[in-house]
Amino acid sequence: MHRTLSPRTLLIRVASAAVVLVAVMLACALVGTERVSFVNALSGGSDPASPNPDFEILMHVRVPRIILAAIVGAALAGAGVTFQAVLRNPLADPYILGISSGAGLGAILAVIGGLNWTLFGRSPIAAFAFAGALGTVWLVWVVGRVTGKFHVTGLLLAGVVVNACFSAVIMFLTSIARSQEVHATIFWLMGNMAEEEFFVLWVSGGSVLAGLVALFFISPQLNALSFGPAEAQSMGVNVRRTQVVAFAVAAFITAVAVSLSGLIGFVGLIVPHAVRLVFGPDHRQLLPLSSLVGAVFLLLADTLARVVVAPAQLPVGVVTAMLGGPFFLVLLMRYNRKVCRLT
Amino acid sequence: MRKWWLLLVSLALWNILGYSLAQTSRVAATDATPAAATPTRIVSLAPNLTELLYALGLEEALAGVTLDSDYPAAAAAKPQVGTFWQPNIEAVVALKPDLVVALDFQQQQSVVQRLERLGYRCLMADIWTVDDFMRAVGTMGQATGRQPQAEALVARLRGDIQRLQNAIAGRTRPRVLWVVQREPLRVAGRDTFVNELIELAGGENAIGPTLHKYPPIGAEQVIACGAEVIIEPAMVESDFARQRETALAYWSRWPHVPAVAAGRIYVIDGDLVSRLSPRLYQGLETIAQCLRPEPPGE
Repeated sequence: MHRTLSPRTLLIRVASAAVVLVAVMLACALVGTERVSFVNALSGGSDPASPNPDFEILMHVRVPRIILAAIVGAALAGAGVTFQAVLRNPLADPYILGISSGAGLGAILAVIGGLNWTLFGRSPIAAFAFAGALGTVWLVWVVGRVTGKFHVTGLLLAGVVVNACFSAVIMFLTSIARSQEVHATIFWLMGNMAEEEFFVLWVSGGSVLAGLVALFFISPQLNALSFGPAEAQSMGVNVRRTQVVAFAVAAFITAVAVSLSGLIGFVGLIVPHAVRLVFGPDHRQLLPLSSLVGAVFLLLADTLARVVVAPAQLPVGVVTAMLGGPFFLVLLMRYNRKVCRLT
Repeated sequence: MRKWWLLLVSLALWNILGYSLAQTSRVAATDATPAAATPTRIVSLAPNLTELLYALGLEEALAGVTLDSDYPAAAAAKPQVGTFWQPNIEAVVALKPDLVVALDFQQQQSVVQRLERLGYRCLMADIWTVDDFMRAVGTMGQATGRQPQAEALVARLRGDIQRLQNAIAGRTRPRVLWVVQREPLRVAGRDTFVNELIELAGGENAIGPTLHKYPPIGAEQVIACGAEVIIEPAMVESDFARQRETALAYWSRWPHVPAVAAGRIYVIDGDLVSRLSPRLYQGLETIAQCLRPEPPGE
């Protein structure tokens, strides 16, 4: 039953997923709490004398946020695929090596410190979260490296312990903070989407895309690695180098995503599994498809979060888990049954 | 190896291109500065600022409020732009405001930054203490062309507070335990505006300096703090009586705490004392009444 993946099939599937993504982006631009006249919006804006709210809402509020959701979703799903492959653990997600708690700790330090500056349009929260995420991954990597050559278990344990430890520090800091600061942090920890400046979207979009391309370069090695490091080495794969590249790139795009939107759970865990269930485990396909599906999924979740309790908004992390959980369970039952019947 | 270099170089070029594009668009954006005038369409993102705008007589100019703006009652009928914690920027823009007022803390700062980027005029008030509030009244009055009303409001509040200070001068200060939440027990610490209200009303916080702003405390501290008055602000207005009943039942487990022995457990309107607003003095008076069963000044 196992067919090899031809470049043609891969191209067709990726292209159709990209078309779906663009269609969903366009559709979501039309959905929001305020009724926006599309015709009116297209008549142009940026005349300071008579502001055109239709244009502003569409072009300056919705579209940047939609692009942001797509970037974050793609980054998280792509990083999830990579971590699951390298750690050979189905429970792995982009946050497993302590990125979430490291970023959370950075964010809460920025909030409690009352810092108030911007760096290339980014708030101190984003900068601290980014630094915290990368710092934590580096710490976990250093600790894990001591534990052995293909130190997967050591890495996982180090990640779990660092996560637990930093989470405790986060809890302590929230317990001593002012209530308003606590609230700000909690919203951040639940995933907080907001429209960003053009330059921020441009750079983070480029970085995430470059990261995903880099991961695609090593996807044949990831395929070999999923049989185990020793087997991969016997197949002529430089395990060490693949691991380093995979971790570094996946951690980097996760840190970009986290600094953009806080901690959005579930996308990086569920989307790779769903795509694997439906299309098979070949990483050359799994990686681009997961990224595109992740972008679509987060986009839909964020659009729901924007409108469901209008005029208020839900944290997007709540929507991803509530929407994604049942959907994934259905997929799991359906496709596992089919596989069982066929074999 | 070549493809890796290619990837790095294209990423670098992409970022340089983005930077130069951003520079050109920024120049264009700064050209378009809106003319400053007396605002006629104000959006308020915080309930206490809404109250303040009403107190300055700006009801007409108030174009939108957040869901939590429930006082005065008429404010709830204004168009709503999301919650205090998560204002909905689309809804704000749709109201075409010429001034957006917000509180100066992380969650609203980010909204204000985003609105300012779109060219909207915003004003943030940094209100943590009574003095901060007085200053914010002044800034708000200036920004909305209502200086006389703002000065009158500050003068009235300061006068009221001064009278209260004269009335309580020389009296002993009862020790007050301010209960934020019962299970788990959390009380107001010293580094809070509640502490300031307690002191202005003639009391003393039963809890000493703590690391936490609102420290969680255990039975040991409850007994040791020797509270003479226990105050619980009620978050929902209607259930005063029931909350007082459950409060009495809860505190009866420590019969030797002076406040419990004397039955001096009070449930008061949380809205009056949980925000610094023009109703600040009403809140102070309510607390003062709890500290002295007879009204101050008699």
